Amino acid sequence: MIRHLFTLIWNRKKSNFLMITEIFFSFIVLFGVLSLAFFYLDNYRKPLGFEYDRVWVMNMRWNQEKPEEVRNIQYRLKQQLKSNPEVAQVALAASNIPYTMNTSNTGFNYNNRFTMADWFTVDKDFAEVMQVDVAAGRWFTTEDNAAGTKAIIINQALRNEIFPDENPVGKVIREKDNPDRKIVGVVEIFRQKGEYSSDKPGYFEYLNTDYASNGTAGGTLDNLMIRVKPGVTRAFEEKLMKQASQIAQGWTIEIKTMNEMRTSDNKITLIPLVIFSVVCGFLILNVALGLFGVLWYNINRRISEIGLRRAVGAASGQVYRQFIGEVLVLATFGIIIGIIIALQFPLLQVFGVQTGVYVAAILGSVLVIYLLAAGCAAYPSQQAASITPATALHEE
Amino acid sequence: MLQNYLKIAWKVLLRRKFFTFISLFGISFTLMILMVATAMIDHVTGPATPEKRLDRMLFVNFIKMTGKSGNMNTFPSYYYMNHYVKRLKTPEKISVTTTFRGVNSYVNNKRLSLDLKFTDANFWEVLDFNFLEGQPFNQQDQKNANRVAVITDHARDQYFGPNVSAVGKYMVADGIRYRVTGVVEDVSYSRFNSYANIWVPLSTAPYNKDDTGLTGSYMAIILADSKADIPKIKEEYQSIVKQVKLPNPKEFDKFYSHTESILEGTIVRQLLGDGENSGMGKFIAIISVVVFLFMLMPTINLVNINVSRIMERSSEIGVRKAFGASSNTLIGQFLVENIFLTLIGGLLGFLLSALVLEIIADSGLIPYAQLGLNIRVFGIGLGLSLIFGFISGVYPAYKMSKLQAVQALKGGQV
Repeated sequence: MIRHLFTLIWNRKKSNFLMITEIFFSFIVLFGVLSLAFFYLDNYRKPLGFEYDRVWVMNMRWNQEKPEEVRNIQYRLKQQLKSNPEVAQVALAASNIPYTMNTSNTGFNYNNRFTMADWFTVDKDFAEVMQVDVAAGRWFTTEDNAAGTKAIIINQALRNEIFPDENPVGKVIREKDNPDRKIVGVVEIFRQKGEYSSDKPGYFEYLNTDYASNGTAGGTLDNLMIRVKPGVTRAFEEKLMKQASQIAQGWTIEIKTMNEMRTSDNKITLIPLVIFSVVCGFLILNVALGLFGVLWYNINRRISEIGLRRAVGAASGQVYRQFIGEVLVLATFGIIIGIIIALQFPLLQVFGVQTGVYVAAILGSVLVIYLLAAGCAAYPSQQAASITPATALHEE
Repeated sequence: MLQNYLKIAWKVLLRRKFFTFISLFGISFTLMILMVATAMIDHVTGPATPEKRLDRMLFVNFIKMTGKSGNMNTFPSYYYMNHYVKRLKTPEKISVTTTFRGVNSYVNNKRLSLDLKFTDANFWEVLDFNFLEGQPFNQQDQKNANRVAVITDHARDQYFGPNVSAVGKYMVADGIRYRVTGVVEDVSYSRFNSYANIWVPLSTAPYNKDDTGLTGSYMAIILADSKADIPKIKEEYQSIVKQVKLPNPKEFDKFYSHTESILEGTIVRQLLGDGENSGMGKFIAIISVVVFLFMLMPTINLVNINVSRIMERSSEIGVRKAFGASSNTLIGQFLVENIFLTLIGGLLGFLLSALVLEIIADSGLIPYAQLGLNIRVFGIGLGLSLIFGFISGVYPAYKMSKLQAVQALKGGQV
């Protein structure tokens, strides 16, 4: 029966060509959107590696002060903010904190293994503010103030790339133009770009921001991360702002809660998906309607054929199944071409996305296309099946 | 003749309403999406208040340095503007501004976040703002570094209360008191050369006079005397760029900067440019491929429907052929019918896109955006409709015209 259907479609391949092309393109479009959706979904289920709730971010922009002066002001600002009873802990961090567009990355070289890694410059209080858990080794402490080597903490993804079967804690990375970097710990995961981003290699780099002990060394950082105690409301913000503008006179200071930042950053991530989905939905609907119309028309043209089949004893169910079957076979042709193209993505690793995401997207697309084809064929086929032999043969 | 074709087309449309619906649905939505996309691009790069005279404007937004330390692409400094950009002789006027930055005001203990931009007095002459009240600050304010400000009506409504006159009153932003001299209509966030909620004199900007670095956060708007001067200014600017002295040739030894339109300089060059080349050709190629791929599916769909529909009319075709109509006449007729159909679809698409743009504008996705359709978008939409109608009509018409008269009369297969 199925072989017979394939022959039927193959014999009319020229007139079916347009329909197969349409199904093929629908498949590709669907595959693209579903890949993106499954990619986000897959990421969403992974842990973030930090807690954004009750974290406020104070972004600072200074004028022409010398770096040392800036560090002094930042140090005093940090002490002042921390002295508030509403504040649990304060940390300093570079501009690429979670839920910002900013990124810093660099090559990471060890034992002939190489990968690009994000790097986050933070001070020793960052773990407490962001609730980052250390899986192996330890978090930064004042021990790391020793000059010469820079203490870093890598994430698991970086460890998998560079230290697949050895313990990275205690290893020193030596590179020509950079100071030595010593790994003091490993964190499970830290996804700066938020819920929808993938888990990429990255590491924290320690910066001693204690001006009292470390006056001239160190660098300047853009953000003060403030963890407030439970129950603190937005009204506290103005108080913070006043304290800040007294210490950092003339600086441009902005306070945002990380919740706010998360909402707007996720919006930016999700908008492309929403737009793609709407456009894809429209294209598929368009194709479905077209398919429905054309099938309806074609089936109506074959009334005499149906009459003949019914007259020689085919049940109406058999006629119905034949037409549905034909459309599904038609869809199969389109899908096969589509799968051949879609499989190139996991095979060539174009975007470095996990194969599972692509497989799920292919399966999802196949399912949707078959459902759509069957749905479009159901009504015309039913009409064809309900034709009585007498009326059908009368047509001619 | 044409009138007859249109009459027939109309009758055919009414005959099978479901097919007509499918065709119109496909056409109108396809064109709607394309027109919304066009309107968005136009919103960012086309002339709009206050950048009305875009055909005479050029922008200096970025400088790029390459060398051993990699690439650096950033805004230029005040020093660069003063010593290099201001050397241009050909332009009518040059306005130097900073990028906008967030400032905070407090109204009744509630924070009001505003975006502030430092501008010179030329800014108000180069751009055409709609002043609701008061006037811009002038060269004197700029010279004396007066703490004066022009604000948008949004900022006024939030700070002083809705529709309260603000001119002459004082407003505090980031702890600095400004006297309001004028109120203008909101400017869309997407026009980043002019956007802000509060504009204050450039002379009050905190910058270090001894700083001779090239990087900073400044930008320039250049107004040419006439359109014809644009290439001259570009040339002159490139000769100035050649004279730029790099502060640290060991780090960066090549310097690029261009004075360009918004689309070319601010968008395309940032995405696809490579120092010398702006990547405009690549950009056009990519856009064309995307539009082509996007239109491909609806077109195939329409062709598919048209082929079916045309067969319904095989007896009509047979009669016309038997009475001596040539293939070309029939192809012509069918193309006219199809273009008529797509134009109706285009019109619907135009209405739909107006609706969608309204929704996008209301959603606040682009702050202070006033999205709308204008004659440019309409023209592009019309062009797209015609192309769409032509492409989707040619193949079915060709197939139909190949039909033998005898077979057609019998209601034959294609």
